[in-house]
Amino acid sequence: MVDFLRDFIHILRSSDIKISTAESIDAMRVVSLIGIDDKPLLQDSLSQTLAKNLREKEIFDECFNKFFEENYMNIADESNNPDIKQADLDNQENSEKLNDSKSADLEDLYKQSDKNTLMTLMAIAAREVNLADIRLFTQTGMFTRKIFDAIGLEKLNNDIFLASRSGDVKRETELKEIREQLRLEIRNYVENQVKLRTTNAGRQLREDALSKIRLTQADRSDYSLMSKIIKRMAKRLISVHSRRKRKARRGLLDVRSTIRANQEYDGILFETIWKKTKVDRPKIVALCDVSGSVANVSRFFLMFLHSLTDVLPHVRTFAFSNKAGEVTDLFESKDIEVAATETLLINGGGSTDYGKAFSDLEGFLENDIDRKTTVIILGDARSNYGDPRCDILKTIQEKSKRVIFLNPEPKSLWGTGDSEMLRFVPYTSKSKVCSSLVDLERVVDDMLRSSI
Amino acid sequence: MSDNKTPSNALAKDSIESIQASFEEKGYICNTHIATAIFLSQSLGKPILVEGPPGVGKTELAKATSDWMQKPLIRLQCYEGLDESKALYEWKYGKQLLYTQVLKDKLNSIVSKADTLESSIDSLDSFDDIFFSEKFLEPRPLLKAINSEEGSVLLIDEIDKSDDEFEAFLLEILSDYQISIPEIGTIKGKVKPMVFLTSNNTREIGDALKRRCIHLYIPFPDSHLEEKIIHSRVPEIHQDLQRQLVAFVQNLRNLDLKKLPSVSETIDWARALVLLNVKVLEPEIVRETLNILLKFQSDIDSSDPEIDSIIETAKK
Repeated sequence: MVDFLRDFIHILRSSDIKISTAESIDAMRVVSLIGIDDKPLLQDSLSQTLAKNLREKEIFDECFNKFFEENYMNIADESNNPDIKQADLDNQENSEKLNDSKSADLEDLYKQSDKNTLMTLMAIAAREVNLADIRLFTQTGMFTRKIFDAIGLEKLNNDIFLASRSGDVKRETELKEIREQLRLEIRNYVENQVKLRTTNAGRQLREDALSKIRLTQADRSDYSLMSKIIKRMAKRLISVHSRRKRKARRGLLDVRSTIRANQEYDGILFETIWKKTKVDRPKIVALCDVSGSVANVSRFFLMFLHSLTDVLPHVRTFAFSNKAGEVTDLFESKDIEVAATETLLINGGGSTDYGKAFSDLEGFLENDIDRKTTVIILGDARSNYGDPRCDILKTIQEKSKRVIFLNPEPKSLWGTGDSEMLRFVPYTSKSKVCSSLVDLERVVDDMLRSSI
Repeated sequence: MSDNKTPSNALAKDSIESIQASFEEKGYICNTHIATAIFLSQSLGKPILVEGPPGVGKTELAKATSDWMQKPLIRLQCYEGLDESKALYEWKYGKQLLYTQVLKDKLNSIVSKADTLESSIDSLDSFDDIFFSEKFLEPRPLLKAINSEEGSVLLIDEIDKSDDEFEAFLLEILSDYQISIPEIGTIKGKVKPMVFLTSNNTREIGDALKRRCIHLYIPFPDSHLEEKIIHSRVPEIHQDLQRQLVAFVQNLRNLDLKKLPSVSETIDWARALVLLNVKVLEPEIVRETLNILLKFQSDIDSSDPEIDSIIETAKK
């Protein structure tokens, strides 16, 4: 039983659930308290001791069902059958049992269709050959063979050999048939184990890769996964920055309230009261190029900004290709993904014209840019040889706290062809290359950090 | 382990069922999920961290437990800036000052007996501890819970609203049920209190705290459970209306709303409908009373076109 729990916790950990040693000890106590006969009860109580948030609970349920669909039968069997349970506790006897089974007739077992014993044998053999270490589906064949060997392939082969030598064709085909069926059974078992142990590891690898991939290369099929990543990044940033703010909030000693509060102690100052400094929440105006070349980056950037409403309450976003339009309301009233798609539909297409976009923006924002505003422009700065109107950018910079220009193109391409990037750079406080989700996270983190 | 396992399993199952039954008697309808958590918390001696959307009965669970265990409920409401002096203990400064004033003469006479400065300090020193004894200690909820003779149910409500420092401070109390007061020493509880922590998930609770707790997530109830809850809380409601009302709320939760209607709001709504003498759900009366269920104007507006069809399905 200890074995099955260890195995199960191992699987949960590989599925991205954090389980400490203390929690696994708790789980052990829980199992000895309630036993394993009642599956829903077991699921409930293990989930309460091991999975500690909603996401983990979902993963837990998934793993639990897969794991027990596979193993429940033989665990139940093990605990009802004192022999095997003993074997389970004692490694020495464990291998003895296995040795017994080697001589036990697989043929008989198969003919009696004694599936339980067969499953138990497979489980013990799987432990023997360390099936828990399996990482890749290409190892399936090898492990199938190892398990088959461990439960007595040799004897079966021997029997087939004997039968063919004595010319008993009927018995030979029958035995071969049994061997094939058993092989399939074991293969299924191993494949299920692979699935159990590797799906989540694979997903994690994929998420890692996606957060670093160039957004312009991202495939449409990955969008849903990427928006999940964005939500997680946003959550992380929120928790980090809401904490920092609290620290910055305490100000000087508030003498007047301190004296008032301490009147009950005869004017002796026991309690101190501090002034509260107002936290400077950043005001953000974001201007995103949504023409074909940078549409993807803008899409994810917009999603990112609007996932951060908890720490960024004043965000106004504009999208432009040849003329600019405000999309703040769209994001506030609709689901983020729908809004992102609609933005691209309404404002996208058409050739980019930075000059026109800037003058539009100036019209929208006449009085809304002040010393607290951070203006973020995201685009490739390719203005199709139109006048980029750097003068407007200059006035924006003078009025605002800072202007950040994010360009998905690598620095070496800035200023080539119709790129006006080098003419923009002098009028920005910061210009950065920003092409992957990780870059986006870094930029936003930076922005929040310096806003206090 | 092998011999006594089956009976103890049966015992566990029985006690979970009996917990469920006695909670139901007290008017708190719970599923096996919740009963299991109570059982585990009692047998392992661990606090329960209850999470879930607002209004599903997290706080109510603690109240029901205290009712069931017949032990006093001690409640600590968390908020930003909550610190030790409000959660744990505070010295009664006023009383200390008053006593020193009143006892001035007495102190004078003690000091006057001593002839050197040193000996007068020594003689004062021997009385010093009097002013920092339990007489002058104002116990706050946590100390009360640990000190209580016959045990208690401690509810630390909305832990997510408190600061990180406070969360770290709770660790000692939750794992060892003891409190260190510098002037007095370590106070260890005689009876372990049963501890509930609730969280609305406005921020993620730290791993260290989670590790020490049993984690119970209470989602919105399914329609069967919700009907039972309504039946127990608003017994005078008509059977048909109860069914329709629950079905309506359940469907409403499927819409994309800012704040979904909670169980407590369903109960309020049921009470309101009973007061208004409603027998069946009609679009008109639903629209008039919808503000009991939905608390944002934008939610009311966006659900408006759906209401007729939801009522239709609820009546089936």
